[in-house]
Amino acid sequence: MMSPAVLTRRAAPVLACIGLLAVWQIASLALKNDSFPTAVEAVRAIPDILGDKESLTNILDSLRRMAIGFGVAVLVSIPLGLLMGRSRTVAAFFNPLLMVIYPVPKAALMPIIMLWLGVGDVTKTLVIFLGVSLPVIYHSFEGAKAVEEKMLWSGAAMGLSPAQRLVRIVLPAALPEILTGCRTGLVLALITMITSEMIARQSGAGNILFNALDMGQYDTVFAMIIIVGAMGICLDAIFERIRARLVRWSEPQFDMPLSFS
Amino acid sequence: MTSQEPASAIIEIDRVSQVFQTSARKDHLALSDISLTIEEGAFVSILGPSGCGKSTLLYIVGGFVNPTSGAAKMKGRAITGPGPDRGPVFQEFALFPWKTVLGNVMYGPRQQGVRTAEAEAQGRALIEMVGLKGFENFYPKELSGGMKQRVALARTLAYHPEVLLMDEPFGALDAHTRTRLQNDLLNIWERDRKTVLFVTHSVDEAVFLSDKVVMMSKSPGRIRQVIDIDLPRPRRRNELLLDPRYQKYVVNIERMFDESDEAGAPT
Repeated sequence: MMSPAVLTRRAAPVLACIGLLAVWQIASLALKNDSFPTAVEAVRAIPDILGDKESLTNILDSLRRMAIGFGVAVLVSIPLGLLMGRSRTVAAFFNPLLMVIYPVPKAALMPIIMLWLGVGDVTKTLVIFLGVSLPVIYHSFEGAKAVEEKMLWSGAAMGLSPAQRLVRIVLPAALPEILTGCRTGLVLALITMITSEMIARQSGAGNILFNALDMGQYDTVFAMIIIVGAMGICLDAIFERIRARLVRWSEPQFDMPLSFS
Repeated sequence: MTSQEPASAIIEIDRVSQVFQTSARKDHLALSDISLTIEEGAFVSILGPSGCGKSTLLYIVGGFVNPTSGAAKMKGRAITGPGPDRGPVFQEFALFPWKTVLGNVMYGPRQQGVRTAEAEAQGRALIEMVGLKGFENFYPKELSGGMKQRVALARTLAYHPEVLLMDEPFGALDAHTRTRLQNDLLNIWERDRKTVLFVTHSVDEAVFLSDKVVMMSKSPGRIRQVIDIDLPRPRRRNELLLDPRYQKYVVNIERMFDESDEAGAPT
């Protein structure tokens, strides 16, 4: 049996979603606008999209690009960020570079990248890669910088070489911070994925969405927004589970009884 | 120098000076011309006010900091970096938070290629020795300060350093925990009488634990005096506190620090 408190906590997100859909439904009925379908109409369009083989292929293509862009970005950014955090020379070299790239919207680089690499997978994956890299580099950098010097000294006394200290002390010690960056990166991957497909239309979830918009199929537009949103929520929830498991040693204990009443 | 060169010197510090650059880009002489010999198996405390460079001196012996001039030697060989022959224990504990108590204690031996089963058996024995049996699978964040420092001591003892370098190890602990750890440290030390270099600013602690107390003064950090503590071992706290010889050491050392404060301080 679940206690009422636990039950409420579990049910809360579901209730929030139902509430949101209800507000949408009422607003849509009240406004009576062609470009604002009701929630029921939008939800009804979802099975049509997911049941259509071409649409499904498009969505899976998007997810594949996102996974590759995110994966490569994480693999490159974590070592770079950690090195920057522990070596002033590396930081002095890359910091100005990143400061220039940081405020530029990655989608704004797309025209140039398209010019060089075309409108295919490579361009879109590269934009996702760029979007994910910066938060992951930044958080890895901050995490590595904050590693206690004495912890590294303790490792050095045990005979760990500088490279071993980076992998076996800096990496795990900075992991909570790194994973915070990865979580931001994951959401940015989704955003840049849709943006890239909006600019370079050809395939993908963003392509379905904006094609539907062009053709005035507003229920499909809203259904795609729900699908993309649900993808984001699911990916974030899965990632959060993995993250919590990996850094359990650093989490404050919320489940400690605060009172014994 | 008054003391003759002992045959069993394990650490020799030879005219070491350390200059730091302050944020105002001025040179600060943290250590000035320090020479000191530490004999094998001795428990030596470095005692002084904060800012006298006593921790820096310990870091130089550890190989974590390179002196601006002069040199430190371990068994006749120049110290150029950290090594498992000199095991540090820091005030900040510096445990690996992602490892359990057992994982922390096994870390050094595993690094040195000891087989997992063997490292685990030795680790469990050490954890029991420092009084933490039953906490093997706890993470550092789940432990109190005193328990963390016990783990840190076990982790360092696990890879059998010849010299223990203790940097105000009990400085962050409350008075009660502090005295308990002092007692336990002495009991552990009595078993194999490893060389210990112990940095502290507590006069009682230095006299209670040590064979030799190195008194330092600050600005610049210098050795003022080296005092041999001629008290019988094994030492029991309750006996020692009543011993007039112990009291005399404490009072004399405190008086010497007070005098230098009055002479130096522009009140």
